[in-house]
Formats: sequence, structure tokens, C-alpha cells
Amino acid sequence: MRLDLTILVPHLGFLAEGALLTLEACVLALAGSVALGMLVAVARTSASKWANRLAFVYVDLFRNIPFIVQLFFFYYGLPEIGIYIDAFATGVVALSIAGGAYASDAIRAGILAIDNGILEAAEVSGLSRRVTFTHIVLPIALRTSVRPLGSVLINMILTSSVLSTITLNELTGNARIVASDTFRPFEVYVVLLVVYAALTYLVSLGITLLHRRLNRDLQGQVS
Amino acid sequence: MLKVENVKKAFGPATVLDGVDLTVNPGEVVSILGSSGSGKSTLIRCINGLEKLDAGRITVDDFDVSRPKELAEARKRSGTVFQLFNLYPHLTALHNITLAPIEVLKRSRAEAEAEGRALLASVGMGDRADAYPAQLSGGQRQRVGICRALAMKPRYLLLDEVTSALDPEMTAEVLAILARLAASGTTMVFVTHEIEFARQISHRIVFLEKGVLLVDLPTKQFFSADGGLAQPRVAQFLSKMRKD
Repeated sequence: MRLDLTILVPHLGFLAEGALLTLEACVLALAGSVALGMLVAVARTSASKWANRLAFVYVDLFRNIPFIVQLFFFYYGLPEIGIYIDAFATGVVALSIAGGAYASDAIRAGILAIDNGILEAAEVSGLSRRVTFTHIVLPIALRTSVRPLGSVLINMILTSSVLSTITLNELTGNARIVASDTFRPFEVYVVLLVVYAALTYLVSLGITLLHRRLNRDLQGQVS
Repeated sequence: MLKVENVKKAFGPATVLDGVDLTVNPGEVVSILGSSGSGKSTLIRCINGLEKLDAGRITVDDFDVSRPKELAEARKRSGTVFQLFNLYPHLTALHNITLAPIEVLKRSRAEAEAEGRALLASVGMGDRADAYPAQLSGGQRQRVGICRALAMKPRYLLLDEVTSALDPEMTAEVLAILARLAASGTTMVFVTHEIEFARQISHRIVFLEKGVLLVDLPTKQFFSADGGLAQPRVAQFLSKMRKD
């Protein structure tokens, strides 16, 4: 058996379409899970008891159910009670909800690590709660949580391959189609391996740069 | 006028302030002395609304800090400088100073930054405006802390052991700035262990002991034998601090 990648050339466009869909779903789900993660992190660090409890239930629930089960529930379960969402939207929502549970953990840890004296300085200077959150709490929390958030994003890219099970023609889905059309699964999956590895490598590189930028004041120090 | 009337504060079973009265008039520099745990910092934290009073009343220019609606006004009139600086680590020295003027006083960015740079220049840090707190020495950080408080143009400057975290050299650079502020008529409530310095810049000195204001005298009288020193506890405290 020899590796002959040229047989894939006619299918490159189709595979690229899949990769694009993967990227779209992940970008949207990243925005969704960070937004959700922030909201839940705020709820978990807030003084309100019921907001607190609700957030804990959400995080515990979605971290303890296999992603594919959540996905099937949304895509095949919900229509039974009259809720129809198309495959792409379902995929993005499911990734956002699952990712949000992990993202909230990362952001919450960042918020809890903020020195209380800094918040007191903001308070006595008359900054509103909203401005304190957007200008002080969040940016400081992100300095520490950007790395764990990066892992959440990378996990999301890997997990998005599962979306092929709900008929979504993302990268893995299309690769399976090409594999069965060409009867050359070896070549197809070699390419798939490389593409996923390259994608996640690029993302982690981006995260490193972002982390460096957010912590630019600490350059040259032990951080 | 800044008025503290019969203020009481306890943390659990520990009484920290036990009926404190204090008045600070505009233009006055009042130093608060006392050993650790005497309630000095708590008093400052009650004035700027970081701690709730158990009893009594504090007003800043007639705005009652215990009333949520008046607290915002009271806070606009006072500025706090903290022992551990409490600078915003993700913002440059300049942006630490301009954040509240822009967001609270609704000043334009250009105006706030021009004033911020002028303040930094006035404390000898004109060339460090774009440095982050982590890139500054302790003394420089505290100078930024002072600028941040002054940028809000407070009528009362509250200083909570602002040199306690600094070595003698950095302490000297911060005290030099405070001396200049005092000489220019800034109203200050100055919690400190720097007794000699307090003596030089204060109009009045008060002595706190176990949450009670034992002595409240003009500086000269505070250090005279028939004034503050007539109080055995004060005499003991001063002689001990001077030996150290």
C-alpha cells in the first residue's frame, strides 16, 4: 500500500467546504460559549443565592453528560415536543452550551483571583458596577483565563467532528463521504489528521500571542 | 466639613470603633496615630463607605455615607490612597489615573489625559505615563495611587498607611509629595506610623486606642508635656515608636 494523495485532488473543494463549515460553527460557538461562560461566571460569583445555584446546576449538568447525547437530545429529542432547529443551528447551540460550562469555570477562576483591594479602589472612586465589571473585572480575569479558554476552544474544534452525526457536512462528515466514494480511507484520514492538528496548532499559537498581549506588562518577569 | 459622630463598628465579637467623634475642616491636615489594631484603618474605611457603620453617623459635606443615595456624592468628595496601592494591573499609569474622571465625571479623554500627564509630571513621573504597575517600583506605584486619587479633585484626601509597604527611600519620596500637598492646602486625613512626619505637616493629631479617640489636639499641644503627653498611653506609644 502506498500513499497517493493525488486521488484526493478532485475532492479538495468538497473537503474545504467542510473545513469552512467546521470553522464557522466553531467561531460562532466560541462567541456563544464565552458569552454564556461570562454570564454563568457572574452568576456563580454573585451574591444572589438562586443565581448561584442555577449556575452550578447548569455547569454540573452539562459537564457530566456525553456531548453526543446532548446533541442527539437537541436534534432528535426536541422535535418530538415540537421544537425544530436545523442541523447547523443545533450544532452551534449544543457546542455553545457544552463549551459555556467549561468556559464559565475558566472565567470564574479568573474573577476569584482578583485582589479585593483593586475592587475597593474602583468602588471608592465611584465607578458603577457595570463599568467596574467591563473595565476592571473582566479584563483582569481574562489575563489569567485566556489560556484555559484556549483549551476550551481547542476541545470545541475537536468535539465539532461529532456534529457529522446529525447530518451536518462539516470537515469530518465530508471526509467520511469522500472516503466511501473513493474507497481510499487511508489517504482521506491522513489528510484529516493533518488538518485538525494544523487547525488546533494555529489556535494554540493565537492563544499564546493573545496571552502575551494581555499580560504585556509582565514581559521579562516570572509570570 | 467631614464629620464623624459617635461611630461604632464591630467585627463579630471584636469592637473596633467604640464611639468615635472627629471633625475635619477644609484645609486641615489631621493625622491619626495609634498602635496596630487601634481602628485607624477601619475609621478610614468607614469614611469612604467600604465598611458599614453599626451606629453613629459620618457625613462628607453633609452627605451621609450610610445612605446609599448620598454615598455616591460623598465618595466624589473624598479620594482614598491605599496601603497596598491597589492599582489596576492591566492599565498603564496614565489610564489608572484617567479611568474614573472619564467614567464617573464624564470628562473627555483628551482632557483627562492632559490632566493625568500633568499630575504624573508633578510627582516626577512624567516619563512613566505608559508604564504598567508591574513595571514600577513601590514608591512609583504609590505616587500613581496618589495621582489617581487627586485626579478626581477630591475635597478630602484619605491616606491609609500609604508608606507602610515601602522601604525608607521610597517612603521619603512619597512623603515629600504629601508634604507639598499639605503645604498647598489639600485637606488630608492621614493614618500613619510616621510620627515625625505627621508632626511636621499636621494641624491636628488624634490618637486612637482600642477604638476610642483618646486625644484630639493641635499638633503642638499633642507633643507638649501638659497636652498629649499627659496621657500615659500616648507618652508610652511615642517613646516606643521613637526607639524603633
